[in-house]
Amino acid sequence: MARVEFINANLAIAEGVMAAGLRFFAGYPITPTSDLFEYLAVELPKRGGVVIQFEDEIASINAVIGASWGGAPAMTATSGPGFSLMLEGLSFAIMTETPLLLAYIMRADPSTGVPTKSTQADVFQARYGAHGNYEIPALVPWSAQEAYELGAKALWVAERLRVPTILLSDATLAHTFERVEFVPVRRAERKKPRVPPEEYRPYEPEDDLVPPMASFGEGYNVMVESLTHDERGYYAPTNEAHRRLIWRLVEKVRRNWRLIHDTKTYYMDDAEVAIYAYGSTARAAYAAVKELRREGLKVGLVRPTALWPFIDEDLKRAVGGARRVFVVENNIGLMYKEVARALRDKEVVSAPLIDLELPTPDQIIEVVKEWRR
Amino acid sequence: MRKEVLIFGRGGQGILLMGHVIGVAAAKHAGLYVTSTESYSSEMRGGESRSDLIIADSEEELDYVKVRNATDVIAMYPPRLGLYEHLIGEGALVQFDTSFNIPKDTLRPSWVKVGAPYTRIAEEELGTPRVANMVALGHFVRLTNFLGLEAVEAAIEEVVKKRWIEINKKALRRGYDLGGVEESLLR
Amino acid sequence: MEAVRRLRKHPLDGLLRPERLPHLWCPGCGLGIALGAILRAVKRRIEEGYLQREKTAFIGGIGCSARASLYVDFDSAHTVHGRAIPFATGLKAVRPDMKVIVIGGDGDIAGIGGNHLMHAARRNIDLLVIMMNNMVYAMTGGQLAPTTPTGLYTTTTPYGNPERPINVVKLVATMGANYVARAAVTHPPLIERYVYKALGKKGFAFIEVISTCPEVFGRHIGMRDAVDLLNALRERVVVKQRPHIDESYYEWEGGKFVLGEYVDKDDPSYLERIGVIKG
Ligand SMILES: Cc1ncc(C[n+]2csc(CCOP(=O)(O)OP(=O)(O)O)c2C)c(N)n1
Ligand code: SF4
Repeated sequence: MARVEFINANLAIAEGVMAAGLRFFAGYPITPTSDLFEYLAVELPKRGGVVIQFEDEIASINAVIGASWGGAPAMTATSGPGFSLMLEGLSFAIMTETPLLLAYIMRADPSTGVPTKSTQADVFQARYGAHGNYEIPALVPWSAQEAYELGAKALWVAERLRVPTILLSDATLAHTFERVEFVPVRRAERKKPRVPPEEYRPYEPEDDLVPPMASFGEGYNVMVESLTHDERGYYAPTNEAHRRLIWRLVEKVRRNWRLIHDTKTYYMDDAEVAIYAYGSTARAAYAAVKELRREGLKVGLVRPTALWPFIDEDLKRAVGGARRVFVVENNIGLMYKEVARALRDKEVVSAPLIDLELPTPDQIIEVVKEWRR
Repeated sequence: MRKEVLIFGRGGQGILLMGHVIGVAAAKHAGLYVTSTESYSSEMRGGESRSDLIIADSEEELDYVKVRNATDVIAMYPPRLGLYEHLIGEGALVQFDTSFNIPKDTLRPSWVKVGAPYTRIAEEELGTPRVANMVALGHFVRLTNFLGLEAVEAAIEEVVKKRWIEINKKALRRGYDLGGVEESLLR
Repeated sequence: MEAVRRLRKHPLDGLLRPERLPHLWCPGCGLGIALGAILRAVKRRIEEGYLQREKTAFIGGIGCSARASLYVDFDSAHTVHGRAIPFATGLKAVRPDMKVIVIGGDGDIAGIGGNHLMHAARRNIDLLVIMMNNMVYAMTGGQLAPTTPTGLYTTTTPYGNPERPINVVKLVATMGANYVARAAVTHPPLIERYVYKALGKKGFAFIEVISTCPEVFGRHIGMRDAVDLLNALRERVVVKQRPHIDESYYEWEGGKFVLGEYVDKDDPSYLERIGVIKG
């Protein structure tokens, strides 16, 4: 059997990404991510990787981008204020199709908020925070075990699709210790050029819309261009080139959603009512569903393991015949907007339960029962 | 099997270490699934300190990360029982450190109330109150009977600083020898 | 344009991306002089077998100066404003076999990117950073730069700059860089010599190249003519063998730009210290 440890979700992420082949980490300390950083600082150099603490989050994400172009699977980790500082770099990575993993350990709310506690306030910031038109994968674990698995998967997705990818965890999971089994994971690998350097164009996609990526130092004279560019990487400020690039960046993520998504359902076979919940809050929802089932209510749980890209058809499949859907989340009702839009023919109810400790199953049960009357 | 274990006490009593040792023992040495959270107030000594563990033999039985209906409780500082009473289920096994006062009014009839003066034993027999937590933990292993003593010893060896391992294991065995439920009932 | 087309063969042809030319720099701009000198030094290092073409990278941020990395035919990156040094640091950390060269403007390197510059020097990370100091934010139209001398007019200091310019040479020296030099476009052979030397250094190497921007810097101080501006700079330049660091401060009115090698030492570099390269 694979190694088993009793660790929190942050360390589980660290183990997962190392198993997937992480080689570079750059970061700036911030609660609640620091133990992830510190753990990698001990472990990654032992496996031939490099960990550097930078002067701020801006430097960190740009160093990750540089390392990624150097051919190394690379990541950073941060939380609210730090993520805000990283947004310019994230946008740069989106434009240059730089694979990288950003572990976003959410903490509570605007400004410095409550650093050690969590809400799920930043699910839209993860999606829309950076400037420009884009799509970005964001995976969302609900346990330490899944943090290990999705950490590895997110790095894999980043490399496979040549796209920055977010792993959206939170302070609650960062403080939750669980049994984690280091199951085998897929190694993160990017597509390499199949043509000689003279013919290689760094932004020319294949059928899956993903361009093979040559790294620095391999003789391809690659061009990393933050401006709108053509397939060669040369500045191309025309409508035609711009539209072609932007739509490809978006479609690349949307069309390959099956590589990213894996929406889980629990007790949904005969469910008349569904609870949509994600991340740590889904743990409370799962307990609530079990209890409501014991009372004879036909309630089930729909739990996306990726929030973004938001795929309507995947959600519709998961919700199936349920008539009513409660969107339970630890924020002011953010994903509700997407769910309600996607499920126009159903009754979608927002249950925004802001709770620094995590909404409780009792709160959720109350919401569901209240609505039954 | 599904257990909800709640351990509470004051800062400085080693509550979080108890939770961590149980977690490591269950996850790594007893083949069980565990979820654990901890909370403590910022003043390290004397403040609230609490460890929650959900332990089950299948992953599906784990859901919410905190204790809602404790099946097993270790009250290392019983005077604060009132703060946690609502989290304790009917029929729970509640284990008290009887070195402290027990608030009689808070006790529920359905609970199985057991205990011993862990702090006093640690002080008088082992020379330091700091290992009271391990005496209690040893007793817990015996009383609840779902974690082997060897599993917990292995966890101590992994988690505790080298020079404290022997005394902690000694305390653990001392607690284990306090006996099972019958011998430990509080009357 | 016509001149470029007629020029079939140029000594630096192999090192530039001809399909990206003509470049965007204005006629009379000092940046071309500097890039030419830089590439001559790189070329010598390549010909001597010290550098390998495919193991050399140029990284730039945003600005007129930073554009240099677009025109050279190497692995190159046009990153975002101010962030070339972190990008280069990440690259170098995972590709210690590569020579990583950063070219950027004074705003890019010492303004918005100043914090990164300071820490990269302190870290003594193995990079060569070349800062083109035209004393203005040129690309955006002539606003104040942190390097603008006191009293000079820019579009955002229409009454004269009330601030003192940052002395980047001294800052980088203070932070412990292994190599710190100042050159100017008035003396291209000096640029070439310092770059050549710096390419052989471990640790953090920094070269400030005082450049001329007739288009926006010159215009606002009444020196729109490229030759006038170049001459005005030449009058203010002094070359010294081994200047003292306290000579590095400059002013425009009645001041001097002291060129020379301010620091040249061999402290352990960052990559040596973390064991990624052998000392
Ligand atoms: C975050 C950000 N802020 C502002 C800008 C606009 N901007 C582009 S270049 C530049 C200044 C360039 O000055 P410098 O680096 O000195 O280079 P120069 O053009 O003078 O060579 C500015 C402010 C930007 N691109 N990004
Ligand atoms: S604006 Fe100034 S620095 Fe920029 S290209 Fe023109 S002359 Fe050169």
